Amino acid sequence: MAGMQTASGDYIDSSWELRVFVGEEDPEAESVTLRVTGESHIGGVLLKIVEEIKRKQDWSDHAIWWEQKRQWLLQTHWTLDKYGILADARLFFGPQHRPIILRLPNRCALRLRASFSQPLFQAVIAICRLLSIRHPEELSLLRAPEKKEKKKKEKEPEEEVFDLTKVVLAGGVAPALFRGMPAHFSDSAQTEACYHMLSRPQPPPDPLLLQRLPRPGSLLDKTKLHSRWLDSSRCLMQQGIKAGDTLWLRFKYYSFFDLDPKTDPVRLTQLYEQARWDLLLEEIDCTEEEMMVFAALQYHINKLSQSGEVDEPASTDQGLDDLDAALSNLEVKLEGSAPTDVLDSLTTIPELRDHLRIFRLALRPRKLTLKGYRQHWVVFKETTLSYYKSQDEAPGDPIQQLNLKGCEVVPEVNVSAQKFCIKLLVPSPEGMSEICLRCQDEQQYARWMAGCRLASKGRTMADSSYSSEVQAILAFLSLQRTGGGGSGNHPQGPDASAEGLNPYGLVAPRFQRKFKAKQLTPRILEAHQNVAQLSLSEAQLRFIQAWQSLPDFGISYFVVRFKGSRRDEILGIANNRLIRIDLAVGDVVKTWRFSNMRQWNVNWDIRQVAIEFDEHINVAFSCVSASCRVVHEYIGGYIFLSTRERARGEELDQDLFLQLTGGHEAF
Amino acid sequence: MFSNLLGEMDLLTQSLGVDTLPLPEPKPPRAEFNYSVGFKDLNESLNALEDQDLDALMADLVADISEAEQRTIQAQKESSQNRPPSASLDVPSFSGAASVGCWADVAAASVSQYEDDLPPPPADPMLDLPLPPPPPEPLSQEEKESQAKADKIKLALEKLKEAKVKKLVVKVHMNDNSTKSLMVDERQLARDVLDNLFEKTHCDCNVDWCLYEIYPELQIERFFEDHENVVEVLSNWTRDTENKVLFLEKEEKYAVFKNPQNFYLDNKGKKESKETNEKMNAKNKESLLEESFCGTSIIVPELEGALYLKEDGKKSWKRRYFLLRASGIYYVPKGKTKTSRDLACFIQFENVNIYYGIQCKMKYKAPTDYCFVLKHPQIQKESQYIRYLCCDDVRTLNQWVMGIRIAKYGKTLYDNYQKAMARAGLASRWTTLGTVSAATPAPPPTGLKTSTTQANGQIPQGAPSLTTVLGEAQRHVETTKDKKPGLGSHDPGAPKALQKSSLAPPPPVRRSSDVGGSPGTSPKVKGAAAASFPTPPDDLLPPPPPPPLLEDSELPPPPPDFNEAPPDFVPPPPPAIVGDAGSWLPPPPPPPPPALAPEAAKQSPVAVKRPPVPPKRRENPGAPGGEGGEQDFMSDLMKALQKKRGNVA
Repeated sequence: MAGMQTASGDYIDSSWELRVFVGEEDPEAESVTLRVTGESHIGGVLLKIVEEIKRKQDWSDHAIWWEQKRQWLLQTHWTLDKYGILADARLFFGPQHRPIILRLPNRCALRLRASFSQPLFQAVIAICRLLSIRHPEELSLLRAPEKKEKKKKEKEPEEEVFDLTKVVLAGGVAPALFRGMPAHFSDSAQTEACYHMLSRPQPPPDPLLLQRLPRPGSLLDKTKLHSRWLDSSRCLMQQGIKAGDTLWLRFKYYSFFDLDPKTDPVRLTQLYEQARWDLLLEEIDCTEEEMMVFAALQYHINKLSQSGEVDEPASTDQGLDDLDAALSNLEVKLEGSAPTDVLDSLTTIPELRDHLRIFRLALRPRKLTLKGYRQHWVVFKETTLSYYKSQDEAPGDPIQQLNLKGCEVVPEVNVSAQKFCIKLLVPSPEGMSEICLRCQDEQQYARWMAGCRLASKGRTMADSSYSSEVQAILAFLSLQRTGGGGSGNHPQGPDASAEGLNPYGLVAPRFQRKFKAKQLTPRILEAHQNVAQLSLSEAQLRFIQAWQSLPDFGISYFVVRFKGSRRDEILGIANNRLIRIDLAVGDVVKTWRFSNMRQWNVNWDIRQVAIEFDEHINVAFSCVSASCRVVHEYIGGYIFLSTRERARGEELDQDLFLQLTGGHEAF
Repeated sequence: MFSNLLGEMDLLTQSLGVDTLPLPEPKPPRAEFNYSVGFKDLNESLNALEDQDLDALMADLVADISEAEQRTIQAQKESSQNRPPSASLDVPSFSGAASVGCWADVAAASVSQYEDDLPPPPADPMLDLPLPPPPPEPLSQEEKESQAKADKIKLALEKLKEAKVKKLVVKVHMNDNSTKSLMVDERQLARDVLDNLFEKTHCDCNVDWCLYEIYPELQIERFFEDHENVVEVLSNWTRDTENKVLFLEKEEKYAVFKNPQNFYLDNKGKKESKETNEKMNAKNKESLLEESFCGTSIIVPELEGALYLKEDGKKSWKRRYFLLRASGIYYVPKGKTKTSRDLACFIQFENVNIYYGIQCKMKYKAPTDYCFVLKHPQIQKESQYIRYLCCDDVRTLNQWVMGIRIAKYGKTLYDNYQKAMARAGLASRWTTLGTVSAATPAPPPTGLKTSTTQANGQIPQGAPSLTTVLGEAQRHVETTKDKKPGLGSHDPGAPKALQKSSLAPPPPVRRSSDVGGSPGTSPKVKGAAAASFPTPPDDLLPPPPPPPLLEDSELPPPPPDFNEAPPDFVPPPPPAIVGDAGSWLPPPPPPPPPALAPEAAKQSPVAVKRPPVPPKRRENPGAPGGEGGEQDFMSDLMKALQKKRGNVA
């Protein structure tokens, strides 16, 4: 052992003193001094340190960090000489896993322990395992954006930070499910709440907040985000991250493999959240019509998650089809009431008859003279609407008879003005007839509206969904009364505040500027009709799909300068192609597909990426807005992800990923 | 009038005593075969029933049927000359009458569609299929698991739905100017009809064959998508329409799957890209398709450009810049850019179909003849709600039409293509098989017969062994089966039975002589119309299985859980009926159904040939075969109810 001494105290071996600080890179930290030789193994040094500290503690997670070289000394069988450590090395003996604050895709903050010593790719795998997100290769971490200093010292409300630092995962096997959640979440009420936060969509954000948050104004702004990605092949410590720092967890690669609502609640929810924030913060543009669908889905998702209808219980594994559902409905009804009534109600197809004011648009609206609404006697039976001059003439021929099957039903409602209209666009061989039914009150409106909606789908009011449809419409109307204004002035019931529809929280700010809330609400509700039947996970999936269908979906933008070109241009990287985009106009100049790619090289010295495609097409560019590492990693990452279909079911090939994305250090 | 009718029905109801249950043969021609089981003390018995399933079922049956009843009655009134049509039916009182009995009047509906040169058959012939008479047999409820009950109920409902299936005779124009008429029932998809036509025409079954509708009046045309319901589309046509259905090959139908690069990688006609595109190899095509159609969401080809839009009601055309997105077609308003936020929505696809416009240059003074048209399927006359767009060249036209179809139908289009491919592959395999099977002594199922005929004049290629080919074919069918939506449920019990029954009936190739052997709802066209046709293939169950299912015929007696739908080839033996109730094994009751069956079998073929067949001639439920399942179930049900009632009384 090192440290042999003569009687006078001189050391007679070639040992020397090594000072090791205990703790996390803190100059004030306590230190221990050991006597070592160049041949000492790291493992031995570690033992000595622990002996010196004389504290009983679990040291198993601790390792030595060499500050000057920015390197962990993890090879315990290596000697100090092999590492090249001399007496002047500043070494820190600290834990490899340290707490960080993760900002999740749903914008919630979560404190957990992440590995500071493994390559980031592995650290993310561990994090995703903890959060039970499959396919961690699609995610990565970003540095949080620097806070702007000019904050007027305004007190931000203290936000809740969920804590998972105490949770320890057993290695190896996938976490088992317990009480509907991965077992490690079911330890305490806190962790359970955390799982709910992860697996359930968050309520819509405050519209004011939405307006305050930064939004990209141009393509150039969209490139900024990508400069903050951390390097997957190096560890957090090497990238200057400290314990307690905030990092963003995001889906980095827009290629979502094998998305399964059943096994992926957290992944699906977080993906949905990321998509939603992308849309709300105008990271991706969409048209007005598309935004209404997104808003309607958000509204629906929020409603379901608020009401606690978090998907079907596990007992319905075989999946009840409509018929089953109808049958069970029927059973319930039968149990509940006297059989005679039931039989009556079943044999009778209910019909509606009432005095309604009708406003009829002729086939050619241009020649229309505004006659206003006229009172008619209207009979609605099965899917057919007939109206008569008066009730007395009802047995005779109606003025007009319309079969509502396949028609468009548009609500035109203004609760405060007590206007309850149903606009029908009814197709016929000759074209469309437009007709407007004006109802007197909410109740009447709800009944007729529900009938029209069912009829447009070819169902009658005998359908089991009729009464629930009526209820849903009434609920909507009450929402519009309470939440539609968007101002918190008038008192709201507890329910209304939880479920109230504030349309401004569902659309991107530019639509907030364009429309008034009362204009938005009916449009969102109209779009909601088409999605109202979806379950929570279906709705989330639909949202994600609609997001993926946007033309600009999944493109990460970088400012680059192509070889031979004098001005900056935008390079878009998507999961299957590279896109050269004009910086000023935003037009696509050229597209190259990865499937035609032969090879790509990075010249780290001049920060240039060179790509060769089939048929000797060569492209080279230097990266301006982000490090060329990030660009390189994006390209390599997408290539890696495209290999997954072939390697389905196999373990994640981490080496391949690092090989494809790593820099020269990786080789 | 109406009360007369009601009175008559009441009489009928009473005459049909529970225990006698005569075959409802001697009926006045006018009267419906409203087969009723009288419950004099209905309320009482219902109250006494603890078995909710049965209640639910019976109630549901009534609800399900009442619609058909009303139609029936109305039709009846219309058809009988001596009765002036009454304007409206008093529904409540009517249903009051109906609720006296459990109505098992199953109206198979009308031939309402006539081709231009068909002599119009009498209006709305009705067809009634009374349900099998229930043998008065007690049934021990305790031994039935509730699961099994649910399955049965579902099965019964399914059967009931089948029973009132609407059918059309469709005249299909072939490309050699000949026509073929075939029966299309309302559940058949274009794919099924195509399969039918393949059988009839012995064509090569390749994927380009399509059903094609043309509107001479509007000068538009389009293909039926394979997943479209044919009857639904045709029922939008007006009565006096000149529209036609064609059967022809159109390579545009699945062009995107053959050369995806033309749609996905087209760089607006740049020379270089075209050259590279043509060189695209199969592997790249495949990966491009996979990328576009197999992801979480499909990718709609990026398509944008200036098109001419016909202005409403005028013959002038305006050039605008249009973009295709998954959510619809958009245009760039004047003075705006083509960024998403500026786009204005031109049309969304939910309620419109896409058509090719024919000779729009002439008719509407279009700039070119490359037009496409978007209109609601129900619109049949010229209207401002029809949108006309005009492209510069045929390539652009095809790109737009295909792009819109992808946006509208999504992955379904790809599924359709794969099914079509499977079908085409199957066809080529069958041709080789045909020669082999001709030599096999085993009784070949009908599908084999067809293939034999199909193989005529064809050189067998390297004839693989029969079993492997069959096995493969079978697998093919099964995979397609699995994908078929709506076939059965996810319920573990029922699907088996359902599938069984759906496989059981003979494939579409069956000719008239076979009809008698086919279950319940055989095609029913009234009078001359029916007689003048070659009797159309009769497949009542949703997916007409093209190839035979050897398994069925080779199978030893089915395992007990299959008993609800015994295989088709054997007439249902009485024991099967007994067995299906579970474990109770009393001596076989003297149930009417089996007794009926042979008689029916004898009758049916005759019925087809006789011209003045009254529509309800087909009263017999118990044709041997597939019907067995229904019989069993219905009789079980009746037994149960009667038992209950008996207990109370």
